Amino acid sequence: MSFVCLWTPRWRTDAASAAELAPALLACVPRVTTDARGRIWADARGLDVGIVVEAIASVMSERGETDVRIGAAMTAMAAEIAAEYGRRNAEVVFVEPGTDAEFVAPHSVEVLGASPQLLTLLEGTGIATCGDLARLDQEAVEVRFGVEGVRLWHLARADDRRLIFTEVPRELPHASLDWADYTLTDPERLVFIINALAERVTTSLEERGESAREIALVLSLANREQSIHRVRFTRPTASRKTWMRQLRAVLDRVTLGDAITGVLLRVEAIAARRSPQGDLFDRGFASAGATEQALAQLIDDQGEILLTPRRTEHPLLERRTRWVAESPALLVERSGSAVGAGRAPALPHLTLQLLPHPEPITVLTREQRDHQIPVRYRDARGWHELGEVSGPDRTSGGHWEEMYAREYFRGVREDGVLVWVYRDALHGSWFIHGWWD
Amino acid sequence: MPTSVAALRALVEQRFPDALPITHRTTAVATGLAALDHILPSGGLPRGRLSAWVSQGGATAILRAACLATVTGGERAAWIDGRGAVGGVVWDDGPILLRPKSPAHALRTAEELLRSGGFGLVVLSGLEPARTETVRLTRAVREGGAALVTLANETSMASLRLASRVLPSGYRWRLDPFGGPAVAQQAVIHVRAQAPGWNAQTNLTIPIAHHELRLSLDAALADRRGVRR
Repeated sequence: MSFVCLWTPRWRTDAASAAELAPALLACVPRVTTDARGRIWADARGLDVGIVVEAIASVMSERGETDVRIGAAMTAMAAEIAAEYGRRNAEVVFVEPGTDAEFVAPHSVEVLGASPQLLTLLEGTGIATCGDLARLDQEAVEVRFGVEGVRLWHLARADDRRLIFTEVPRELPHASLDWADYTLTDPERLVFIINALAERVTTSLEERGESAREIALVLSLANREQSIHRVRFTRPTASRKTWMRQLRAVLDRVTLGDAITGVLLRVEAIAARRSPQGDLFDRGFASAGATEQALAQLIDDQGEILLTPRRTEHPLLERRTRWVAESPALLVERSGSAVGAGRAPALPHLTLQLLPHPEPITVLTREQRDHQIPVRYRDARGWHELGEVSGPDRTSGGHWEEMYAREYFRGVREDGVLVWVYRDALHGSWFIHGWWD
Repeated sequence: MPTSVAALRALVEQRFPDALPITHRTTAVATGLAALDHILPSGGLPRGRLSAWVSQGGATAILRAACLATVTGGERAAWIDGRGAVGGVVWDDGPILLRPKSPAHALRTAEELLRSGGFGLVVLSGLEPARTETVRLTRAVREGGAALVTLANETSMASLRLASRVLPSGYRWRLDPFGGPAVAQQAVIHVRAQAPGWNAQTNLTIPIAHHELRLSLDAALADRRGVRR
């Protein structure tokens, strides 16, 4: 049996009594709750219900609650009916396991807590007891009585899906320090206090085998305001060193309205530690954690600097690549040995290196058939001779955005570097766009 | 003087035939290019040491191949692009690419990665570290055990100095119907490696990769046929 329900007609008008009584029952069961109708629920799941009920009855007796009825059943609905509508002369009604539906069946549908409108409808249809309702098909009930009818149909079959006992959220680690005799204005002392609090919180996390994804620093000010600063980590961590580095960065930027009278450091979001399965022959596996941590630290410090290219089909090379930020864990995984295993060593190729922005140059040209080709150009470093030059490769477009028309040339500079220059055919100006390296 | 140095070297080699200079007694990260590894003192880029590469062409190609070879070998490689010059069109999966926002950030990134000990090869390009910054990098690289290569002109603190240039006469072109150059197919890179007691050089022939230049099919623009002067 799982649910124990306590009820007395007195509690309908005096719900406060039930609320006062509930804490006393925590000596008997791990969880106790009350509902809007003044019932007390005790969670006896996993316990010997006979002993639990005996203990509860004893508590009632001690507190002078002599008219309390107790119902115990596998389902909340049966326990509720047992307490409210069971035998009047019996203090405790046990519903035998597996007989909840049978126990509920002879009772009037009114015990299910239907609305007056639905009760009228049920009465008009000739459904008087829970058993009458339970015998119908779900589809028929849904068509005739709607959503509420289906809910009652489930209850009438002792199929109770209500969550009587909600999950109790676990308290996250935190540490605080308040002082009343003086106010704090010295940043170094503040860091000292935060460091001590961080030590306590990280130790608590270590003991639980967890890491913090987000923490909050709450500074209580002398003007009774609070200054709350949240720090989110790229990679969940319980490292005090990492926390302090981030918190120092926050403190460097913050301006407070008054002196500090208290500090609270609390964990806002936690994550369990991940222990991935490793490959014995993976040379990079042993250092994967350290690598991931280093990359996460860089992102925390500098923002998104881990990038991978996403290529598009844009005709202009400088617009063809979109850089997308990557997570350290994903990159470490992809850059591990699994990526390279079995791949043939790559041969080097001279590839095009682009300038961040095309730089204007002065060009001397000579005529070749129907076009001009560059033979010398001058940039910030001076004049450069171009030996062999190929081109032009012409590209144009951008009617609906920003029109462009370019004639690209590749030329070998006197120092051997193959450069990529183009003439903007719309404006007649020349630019150097990149080089092969 | 050169004669006396040569004589002294010959004498030392004769007396201590198995001796190696300290800078050569390190493990190395192979570049994956046999011809290059052959001219490097310890058969590759030395671990725990700074190598400085003065490039007039070819270094990026060789170091990208070295990064891929490192990944293929089961280690990690990182490329810190201090100038944002690495084109996404030609970047291959494998090495981790970092694009810090400023040279100072790039140096901090390099130091952090080197100290982590999780990388076999780290390449720092697009900035010129000052001497004090180079000292910090050498300490970090010694601590982490990676091979660090900087693409910079400052080589004074490096245990291995490399220089490369593309030979202007080494290009091989595919010709157009008029006999002029159309597409450069390959180039010859001259690489010199220098370390205390070490000086070697080689020529590497490297193909040239060309991106796909997509031409517009729009016939309305006048410049489709070029502009006459």
